[in-house]
Amino acid sequence: MRAFRGEPSIFNNVKPAERQAELKVEGLTLYFGGIMALHNIDLHVTSGEFLTIIGPNGAGKTSLINCITGFYRPQKGRIIFNGEEITGLPPREITRRGIGRTFQNIELFPGMSVLSNIFLARHLYCNYNFFSACLFLPSIIREEVKHRRIVEEIIDFLEMQPIRKKLVGSLPYGLRKRVELGRALALQPKLLILDEPFAGMTLEEKEDMVRFLKEINTRWGQTIILVEHDMAVVMSISERIIALNFGEKIADGPPDLIKSHPEVIKAYLGEEAQGSFS
Amino acid sequence: MKLDRDYLYQLRDYTIPQILFKQAKLLKDRVAIRKKSLGIWKTVSWAEYLGFVKHVCLGLIFLGFRRGEHVSIIMDNEPEWLFAELGAQAMGAVTLNLFTSSIAKELSVLINRFGAKAVFAQDQEQVDKLLEIREEIRDVRRVIYVDPTGMSSYDDPWLLSFKDLLELGRKMEKKEPELFEKELWKGKKDEINLMIMTSGTTGIPKLAMFKHENFTDIALKWIESVPIEAGDNWISITPPAWIVDQMWGIGVSILSGMVMNFPETHETLSEDYREIGSSLTITSSRFWEDLASKIRVRIQDSGFIKKKIYEMGLKIGGMVVDRELKREAVPVYLKIMRSIFRYILYRPLLDRIGCLHIKAAITGGHPISPDVIKFFRSIGLNLKHAYGLTEGCGVFQIQPDDEVKPETVGKPLPRTEIRISEDGEVLVKSPSLFAGYYKDEEVTKKVLENGWLHTGDAGYIDEDGHLIIIGRKEEIMRLKGGEVFSPDFIETRLKFSPYIKEAVVFGEERPYVTGLICIDFENVGNWAESRMIAYTTYADLSRHAAVEELILSEVRRINNGLPNPMRVKKIILLYKMLDPDDEELTRTGKVRRKFVYQRYIDLVESMYDGKDEIEITGRVQYRDGHVGTIITRLRILNVE
Repeated sequence: MRAFRGEPSIFNNVKPAERQAELKVEGLTLYFGGIMALHNIDLHVTSGEFLTIIGPNGAGKTSLINCITGFYRPQKGRIIFNGEEITGLPPREITRRGIGRTFQNIELFPGMSVLSNIFLARHLYCNYNFFSACLFLPSIIREEVKHRRIVEEIIDFLEMQPIRKKLVGSLPYGLRKRVELGRALALQPKLLILDEPFAGMTLEEKEDMVRFLKEINTRWGQTIILVEHDMAVVMSISERIIALNFGEKIADGPPDLIKSHPEVIKAYLGEEAQGSFS
Repeated sequence: MKLDRDYLYQLRDYTIPQILFKQAKLLKDRVAIRKKSLGIWKTVSWAEYLGFVKHVCLGLIFLGFRRGEHVSIIMDNEPEWLFAELGAQAMGAVTLNLFTSSIAKELSVLINRFGAKAVFAQDQEQVDKLLEIREEIRDVRRVIYVDPTGMSSYDDPWLLSFKDLLELGRKMEKKEPELFEKELWKGKKDEINLMIMTSGTTGIPKLAMFKHENFTDIALKWIESVPIEAGDNWISITPPAWIVDQMWGIGVSILSGMVMNFPETHETLSEDYREIGSSLTITSSRFWEDLASKIRVRIQDSGFIKKKIYEMGLKIGGMVVDRELKREAVPVYLKIMRSIFRYILYRPLLDRIGCLHIKAAITGGHPISPDVIKFFRSIGLNLKHAYGLTEGCGVFQIQPDDEVKPETVGKPLPRTEIRISEDGEVLVKSPSLFAGYYKDEEVTKKVLENGWLHTGDAGYIDEDGHLIIIGRKEEIMRLKGGEVFSPDFIETRLKFSPYIKEAVVFGEERPYVTGLICIDFENVGNWAESRMIAYTTYADLSRHAAVEELILSEVRRINNGLPNPMRVKKIILLYKMLDPDDEELTRTGKVRRKFVYQRYIDLVESMYDGKDEIEITGRVQYRDGHVGTIITRLRILNVE
């Protein structure tokens, strides 16, 4: 009955070549006045990878994300996405090139429904102008229907049917995070960047989120950069982890290596601490 | 569209899949099934319906399944349930629906007893359970799953997707276009086509066997007694493992041409229910009780004007219902008032709860409080009581439209005879009675005597020919002094309080009646919040002194309406809800009284030996099967 059932067309009908996402960050440095937020960061993400960035508070995780997505302009260094330099481009241009993100503090429209919030991300793919939209021509109806279907598939995939028409402002925190993920997915990004999507969630909500992320990464080959605090989640989900501290990259490798890396332990637990994360 | 009666009567000679075949020729492109998917109601016509059934049937044949083999279905309310069930029956297989909420161990026992060779599973969750018990269910040759979400990583030839099954069916059809009809017409109307688990209030569930003709008969009964037409809506919400949706899905809907509607998910149910506006609904009394208490609570939170309109409307509706009951003439001014309130209160309220288009709302299962029936009839909902049981192929006793009496379960449907045995038990005879229990002739003989079904319920027939059910025959109890009381009767009334979710009363061979009470977490929680009473968990809330006082006052109020020996003298507020996972309730939500009694024997005893407080260690079983304990002190509350 359900024509696709768990196979959203934004994933299913996309060729691997269209999902190609190769990100290179070279010597990235960012100051705020006299404070060095990022110092000489190198980063390489290959297509289909699940990369996690960890680090204590103020390590520069979000700053790094903000540089990549164009919210901050780094003083030095280059960001190259799929062979094209995107350093310093405004956020909308970067989104157009295929980088989608969610925010740590949830940037949704609380007075709009879940449906409208996700719909909003489809504006990138709308080909009509203001006037023909006012006339609501048949061609526009067809286009709207096409986008609505995509949005509905995402709602179905993320199991948000019961809240489809609810106002975002009335939803609990964990569900809002899910709506934000939905909106980022509706952009059909080549590279998906998630800024602490697990913060403030209940255990059950975390489990759901892990399931969704795992599935879009392993099944559909979505390239993902995840910024996260929750170590249990990070260790269970990541393929490769980068650890930051005071704006510098201190470690880069698979979860097992990071767990026992002396610099990481020092950054998290202090100078004298011994042993490793459980 | 009303189907021709003569045509319908002549369908009696066919099997259910054969009838579907005929209906698909007659109703062609009319809607047969609706399913909400991606936010839109998608339809399946009768012709497409038959197509799905055909391909399931041929797919099963392709996989090597044969006539007479058994097929289990573990599915939620989805159209594929009907396709799977009728497809299997079309090739002569016997089907059994299991609960999706069952744990793996339960499934293994039932699948083995039934001897299933193929299993249809809803989704990854069900498949995982089956994989867990794979070694125990060696007879199962194939598992066919419907929802492929999350299934991409499973690479096991034991598993097959529903989509692939349909594909195999199409392949088979190309190879042998005549095969489906050849298999279909081999079916005989008096073959067993289906088994249903009986809820097992007494011991482990039994499998009741049914024939095609049982379902044609019960469907015709309904068509004769309720104004159903092709295109009317039925919304499928009760689990397919119960008789109600079976009776409708493969009985009434197939014969009458009613549309089967399937909600999007469990959580969107109330919205979907409202959008469809079903024409007829059969739900447990619990559903109506919950709904009534929800309406009451919501009204209490509303503004002054709304509250006043609601109160007046209910009062006027109640006055009309009372007069109709006594068969008195309704004065003109009341009629006028009622039609005014119809537009300002009744219809908007019915629309809110999705009951605006209902021709008949039927409650069954557990006895329902007369207050609830009166409440809904006052706002213009044709709610009435019906009576039936799985062994009788569903409902066979219903109140006629113009003589609704709150305390009765009405008159028999056509071709049904009712008799009261010498010891007060209700006996039924009808062509729709089941064929016996699977592999259990001894019990069959006891229950089915000379064509009369022993219902196990005690009751009597009043002067108007209405049947009144007092309670389960074995559950009618006597106090030490010899006074008779019915625990059910008392519990039902207790549970009509919005603050009481579950109540179990005791008193057999005891000096007085006592009860264990589970508070309604939602309603009592709201009540506590509005009074600034802080609480953390269910156990904490139910221990609160103010909550105890609240429940006591509710019990006192209810006691006033009961004859003296039936009044509850002492109660204990339980620290947890009764739960089917703890085996305290059956899967249908009925209390397993004996089990509860044995489990909480210390609590029961303490209510008779004059203690004020008792410390107990409770056992709680979690969903994943592991067991925890709670140590708590419970107060024994004196009602008077």
